[in-house]
Amino acid sequence: MRKFLRRIVSIYKEYLLLIVLSVISLTILAQNEKPAAKHLKTFALGNFAVLNEITNSIISIFKNDESRDELRNENAHLMLELNRLRKYKAENEELTSLITFKDTSIYPFVPAKIISKLVTKSQGNFIINRGSDNEIKKGMPVVNDKGLVGLIMDVTENYSVVQTLNNSNLSVAITLQRINVDGILSYDGNNLIIKDIPTTYEVQIGDIIETSDFSSLFPPSIPIGIVSKKESNVLGLLHNLTVEPFAKIAAANNLFIIKIVPSKQINQLEMNLMK
Amino acid sequence: MIIQNLKPILFFIPLAVIQLVIIPLISISNIAPNLVFILITYFTLKHGQVYGTILGFILGLLLDIISGGLIGAFMFSFTLSAFVVGYFYGENKMDINISSYFFLFILFICGSINSFLYAVVSNSNSNVSLFFMLLEEGILPGLYTTLFGLPIVIFHPKEGI
Repeated sequence: MRKFLRRIVSIYKEYLLLIVLSVISLTILAQNEKPAAKHLKTFALGNFAVLNEITNSIISIFKNDESRDELRNENAHLMLELNRLRKYKAENEELTSLITFKDTSIYPFVPAKIISKLVTKSQGNFIINRGSDNEIKKGMPVVNDKGLVGLIMDVTENYSVVQTLNNSNLSVAITLQRINVDGILSYDGNNLIIKDIPTTYEVQIGDIIETSDFSSLFPPSIPIGIVSKKESNVLGLLHNLTVEPFAKIAAANNLFIIKIVPSKQINQLEMNLMK
Repeated sequence: MIIQNLKPILFFIPLAVIQLVIIPLISISNIAPNLVFILITYFTLKHGQVYGTILGFILGLLLDIISGGLIGAFMFSFTLSAFVVGYFYGENKMDINISSYFFLFILFICGSINSFLYAVVSNSNSNVSLFFMLLEEGILPGLYTTLFGLPIVIFHPKEGI
């Protein structure tokens, strides 16, 4: 029997190895949010990101300009301010004064530089050069001078992982600014899509999309993009909207982390839903 | 023996840095070549299927943890695609496989399989069609990866072809 088993193993060793390694890979994939996997990732990320940062600084040696960071910071603040004013214009002034509108421009910004990117169709991730030493925490929103870019997902001492909008695991609660309709924005591997908006709402191409008041992951009124295409489903009852983001995520280089500590309990729930 | 096993790891470090820092600059609408997979293909064709499968598993794990992505996604796709590359291995065909344009053919087929498998395990959007995934997340990155395998064919020393 033992001889027979040994023979089987020696004949099919490649297949057995493949099965074992594939099962291990899939098991680890399923355990991604477990603390052990997180620790391993944090440790490796913290050490390897140093190499990425050095390479990145060599590449950007000729284009590095300190004053540019300050200007970008101001620009990002102005971007949020502008969007807030747009919202005021679109809404009735009397109603606006009655609701407690959170002012996103008052949150402090932490400028950060992207040191490496994971470019795949479904897993858009950045590693940035700010971490827990800069009081960065998991769940903080990340913007650039144009609009929303993503969310902090992992934090090490000096580096953080940003899950971008171009990641199929990230869904964002949004509002169509002009008509004040809420929806969920997600990435389908090619475009940012808002699904199932009733056709009774008069959505127009060019309508501005911003983060919703209902989202506890993101502060309200951060501009995301504009509606670039709308498609009705077969019955014609619902729209699927394609969104063109303001922030050119693939070309992003300098980012700002909005130092906001969201509601811990709700945030925990939403982060769990993303696992 | 130890050097033979360490060699891919030593090559992996600079390639991973290039993959994460420079390759995003030349990606076309999120389609990017995978340099680490070229390394795996090369060493699998040199040392065989078992070696390649284990190498794919290890380098996949390393790339997963340093890229900040899903741990296990590259691990799974590299393991399976390195196994497929292993079918092209032959002690007597090593030179033809690596130094000729047949290397690019292997790279295209297996690179496409690798990208497709990665997309399947990492994409949580259930509405993406299989055809779209195969074309945009499999064949196109495979084609781009093949382009980057060209220097190996050109500069690898040819013996008796």
